[in-house]
Amino acid sequence: MLEFFVDPILRAPTIGSMLMGLASGLIGCLAFLQKRSLVGEALSHAAYPGVVLGLVIAAAFFPGGISAAILVGAFLSGLLGLFVIHQMEKRLKIASDAALCFVLSVFFGVGVCIASGLQISHALWLQKIQVFLLGEAATMMDGHIFLYGGLTLACVLSVISLFRFLEILHFDPEYAKAVNLPSKAVHTILYILLMVAIVVGMRSVGVVLMSSMLIAPPSAARQWTTKFSSFLILSGALGLLSGFLGNALSVWSLAPLPTGPMIALVATAICLFSLFFAPERGFLPKLIRVTHFQLRCKQENILKALYKKRTINPNPYLLWRMRTKGWIKGEKLTPEGYSQAEKLVRLHRLWEVYLVHMGQESDRVHHSAEEMEHILTPEIEIQLQALLDNPTQDPHQQPIPGVSR
Amino acid sequence: MTVVCVEQLSVHYDKTPVLWEVDFEIPVGLIVGLVGPNGAGKSTLLKTFIGLLRPISGGCTFFGKPYKEVQKKVAYVPQRTSVDWNFPIHVLDVVLMGLYGKRGPLKWIRKEDRALAKQALDRVGMLPFASRQISELSGGQQQRVFLARALLQDADLLLMDEPFAGVDMATEKALMEVFVQLKEEGKTLVIVHHDLTTVKNHFDWVILLNSCLIDCGPVAEVFTEENLKKAYGSAAYLVTETKKLTRSKTSGV
Repeated sequence: MLEFFVDPILRAPTIGSMLMGLASGLIGCLAFLQKRSLVGEALSHAAYPGVVLGLVIAAAFFPGGISAAILVGAFLSGLLGLFVIHQMEKRLKIASDAALCFVLSVFFGVGVCIASGLQISHALWLQKIQVFLLGEAATMMDGHIFLYGGLTLACVLSVISLFRFLEILHFDPEYAKAVNLPSKAVHTILYILLMVAIVVGMRSVGVVLMSSMLIAPPSAARQWTTKFSSFLILSGALGLLSGFLGNALSVWSLAPLPTGPMIALVATAICLFSLFFAPERGFLPKLIRVTHFQLRCKQENILKALYKKRTINPNPYLLWRMRTKGWIKGEKLTPEGYSQAEKLVRLHRLWEVYLVHMGQESDRVHHSAEEMEHILTPEIEIQLQALLDNPTQDPHQQPIPGVSR
Repeated sequence: MTVVCVEQLSVHYDKTPVLWEVDFEIPVGLIVGLVGPNGAGKSTLLKTFIGLLRPISGGCTFFGKPYKEVQKKVAYVPQRTSVDWNFPIHVLDVVLMGLYGKRGPLKWIRKEDRALAKQALDRVGMLPFASRQISELSGGQQQRVFLARALLQDADLLLMDEPFAGVDMATEKALMEVFVQLKEEGKTLVIVHHDLTTVKNHFDWVILLNSCLIDCGPVAEVFTEENLKKAYGSAAYLVTETKKLTRSKTSGV
């Protein structure tokens, strides 16, 4: 494990990928909350022509500063893309998704065209450019780490210092303006940070896969958190983790797997896991809760049937569950099962009385009561009894069991 | 003393006029209802008050000064629909936002602040929900949290956009109780409202609006059959119609 941070060949790609994950996980949260995650996708593609032009210009005029020129080029061309999106939405009233797609494809297309123009004359340049398409973390050196580290640190510090602003601005934009927050300035800073995060990520996951790093960690983190602070921290941490694991997996793998796609896959796997298994919002826990409730309803219906001495559908699993709860012994009600059944019948009939009290016809209340008997809580039961003045009979002149006068 | 003074105020959305030469004053210590049909410019008026919209002519002052200078004394409660209720945040943190209105958002939150926020929650009967996720609340509970946030700001003028919209009777009553307490403390409340049946019970003063100011004053004087006809009757229909016309003419459709 430690070799990833010590080994002179491994450490730069590892740390670089982790920095990328942290920056994009953190900044991605803000786009996620604005429900504009696709902006990341558009801007990362819009950065590509900047990469190409940056390299060409630097190679022609000051060959020493190629890495820096590429980053600056990408940053500026991303900002230009953002400006075009903004103008299309504001002035031309073009729908947001159309404007995003337009910028994504046009900018990326221009980048690809220029790059392929270099194919024959400058094959070496083309190689350098293609690193940024799908990312090649392995080509990172120690020098890159300081550059990316500085940019990531800038992202983290900006988010920390703007924390309260961001909270109000995303939760309640009108209130933010009412208390005179500089909403426009904060939005501008946000987009600049988004571009910085993209620039940091280009080298390790590339412009094509960058958006997955802006979307997957926040989507995963949102499943587990209910506070803005913990949401940001977890999302950043998951990005960091994806960066490390993606890198490690590509090193450990037998066949040579590319790092960028591996990182994106790890992030997506974490996201899928969260979507399925997060305790509150996950798909599976929800499914389990629903199934559990349905099973309980079925058991309670059997209980009622036994209480009313009707024939039951002897589902062995349900009967086994009821035995473990102590509701029945063999196929006879235990005292506990009896009082449980009494409670159900009481709730059923109380609800019928209530519906009639509210003006429903007495022959139309049974259906609703069949459902409500499983749902009503003890608190509601007390309220119902008080409201209806402790009734002893339901609308069909059946006694309501267990009501003491 | 005059709390709100509106002079010859005209506001346009794009190029469509929404408020025409509105002119009125509100004295201190009253619960004021801002009443009028849909699209009459009630929310627009509140938003202009706090600088969310810029008037095309005229202006308004609070306690004799422009909004920017007395912003801390004015609390704004937006419509519930303008908020992202899926945002990951707890009730207490929403209430604490009231402090930013009071002293800016860069100050750290201290223990005393949390205690104050809890007091505000208690006052609207929402203390048991302090650490709940905001999306779990019902409409009425969300509205109470908003009120608690305004209380924490400790403002002298509260501007509320439809606090009773989509709220049950019990909550409406509970909110009114807090409003009356605030009035007794000498605060002024301006409330956008559209349920005409409760106007007489809820408010001391009424501003009746349908793009133009129809009337402004004590409920008994303003809330008359004649005025209501002006605001809601067939004569008001022309106002709506001409507004539609100007919208289509000025946008070139």
